[in-house]
Amino acid sequence: MNGKLLLSVDIGSTYTKGGLFLLDGEELRLLGRKVRPTTVDDLGRGFADVRAAALAGRPDGASGDVPVYWLSSARGGLKIAAVGLTPDLTLSVARMAATSAGGKVVRAFSYELASDDLAELEAVAPDIVLLTGGTDGGNSRVVLHNAARLAETALPAVILYAGNRKVRDRVAGILAGRDLVTAANVMPEVGTIDIEPAREVIRRAFLDRIVDGKGLSGVVAATGREPLPTPLAVFELVRTIGERLPGWEDFALIDMGGATTDFYSFTESFHGGDSILLRGLREPKLKRTVEGDLGLRVSAEALFKSEKAFFESRLDPDGEEFAALRDHVARVSRETEYLPGDDRGRRFDELLAAACVRAAALRHGGVVQRVFTPQGGFDVQRGKDLRRVDRLIGSGGFLAGLSDPAVLLEVCAPDAADPDTRHLVPEAPACYADDQYLIPLLANLAAEFPDAAARAAVAGLKPLPSPKKTTDKRG
Amino acid sequence: MAAPRIVLGVIGADCHSVGNKILDAYFTEAGFHVINLGVMVSQDEFLDAAVESDAKAILVSSLYGHGLIDCEGLRQKAVERGLEGILLYAGGNLVVGKTPFEEVERKFKDMGFDRVFPAHIELDEAAKLLREDIEAKAK
Repeated sequence: MNGKLLLSVDIGSTYTKGGLFLLDGEELRLLGRKVRPTTVDDLGRGFADVRAAALAGRPDGASGDVPVYWLSSARGGLKIAAVGLTPDLTLSVARMAATSAGGKVVRAFSYELASDDLAELEAVAPDIVLLTGGTDGGNSRVVLHNAARLAETALPAVILYAGNRKVRDRVAGILAGRDLVTAANVMPEVGTIDIEPAREVIRRAFLDRIVDGKGLSGVVAATGREPLPTPLAVFELVRTIGERLPGWEDFALIDMGGATTDFYSFTESFHGGDSILLRGLREPKLKRTVEGDLGLRVSAEALFKSEKAFFESRLDPDGEEFAALRDHVARVSRETEYLPGDDRGRRFDELLAAACVRAAALRHGGVVQRVFTPQGGFDVQRGKDLRRVDRLIGSGGFLAGLSDPAVLLEVCAPDAADPDTRHLVPEAPACYADDQYLIPLLANLAAEFPDAAARAAVAGLKPLPSPKKTTDKRG
Repeated sequence: MAAPRIVLGVIGADCHSVGNKILDAYFTEAGFHVINLGVMVSQDEFLDAAVESDAKAILVSSLYGHGLIDCEGLRQKAVERGLEGILLYAGGNLVVGKTPFEEVERKFKDMGFDRVFPAHIELDEAAKLLREDIEAKAK
């Protein structure tokens, strides 16, 4: 056989997945997939199982020679606590930096950290505390205060300082002896976002300091390669697809699991024009949001509460179906491995998924409001415009198994209650399911083989036939 | 000494952008570090920008006659947000109609603005006052 074998392994929180690929010139072809439960006590065991299974019976795969690329989101993924000054500026940018680096924001604080906040921080035990605040040369009082408060704690976390550059040395002095790394200010000027340097430092911190604590060092030794956090690899794959593949210039990817829903978009955030104005931060072209309260299992109760209005709009709140849905939610949040065996259970899961997709899209996308001024009507945009997104991929357990696009099309949420407000969500995207779970496995290979991985990821998708032309929900 | 930072913008539902650009260019040239928020700026946006950048002054423009209602409460909000000593300037066509400027000035000063300017002013004079006010605050 010509070409080169590559093994890609994704150690997830529940399953460890492996895919054996053949790289033939510029083409990556999937030869086989294997899935084993993640062995939480010793991640290396599940990893070795998958590796052995994937390579079993391959005469050419006398294992040792096949390079193994791997990533991990096990043990809660990369947990980041974000600290900023004002909620709408540095804290908002700090969140963006954290999620773009593949992290999950477990806590966020603005202004001065108080004793309660410190106790909360210690309780959630983040892997990284991202400390920001102030523009370069701007406010330093609050960030210095927060550095001093962090110095009081016994947090073992890596502290990443990416705030006001003017006091970087003083912050380093205050936090001397701690596991401190620094990066350029995430917001050097009001309204200017510069998250790439912080992202890069988070990536390195993950490799250098966190991999070990997640029990991954055994796998590093076995493969001779360091892992990436899964969402970071996916983030980069989304970028590669958007930048390199014709027809994918504006697209989005939703990765939904039992606990979280991740939304990735690749599209210009603001298009300008004569009578439209952007207020607030100009968001990046490539954006990821992580919704820790939207998920089909662990987060089902939270979802049921926060999206109550949605469920009530789909089922009669006094009816028997609604009561059954409530029971379903209670059950799946207890038995997180539960897979419904009957139609009703599957229908309920579909409804939960629809609620996640809808809410994640509304939170990821911005809004435009019609404002009437003495100079005439203006549209004021806040957040990111997703209307040009014309392709949408569903990934992760439930979405990967879709056979029609209805659940994904929930992104095209109807208008807000206020007739002068519109959500900037996709309008009628073509939908795809990542039915072979290739996205994370190929994301893994994208750093080294970007073109081949991007092409294979897209070629492996299952198109979900669009329904007959739907009526325009905007009326 | 580093250039003093000032926050500039047109408040409320006001889209007049020409004067805003002139002020930005002028004050930058005059040695200030201008954080220009553009048009249709809310009170919170002015204050967020001033907090993050540790600005010495907020210069609020209003050209469409609704300045009084748009600026009301800005001083109190600034105090609540920890910007007790910040300088607040207002200027432009602040109110509709033929109200004498002295009366407009008094109303804005009552609301906590440090200086109030009519639509036509010498920018050199404004910059000089701003520099003096910032120095006085620093003492």
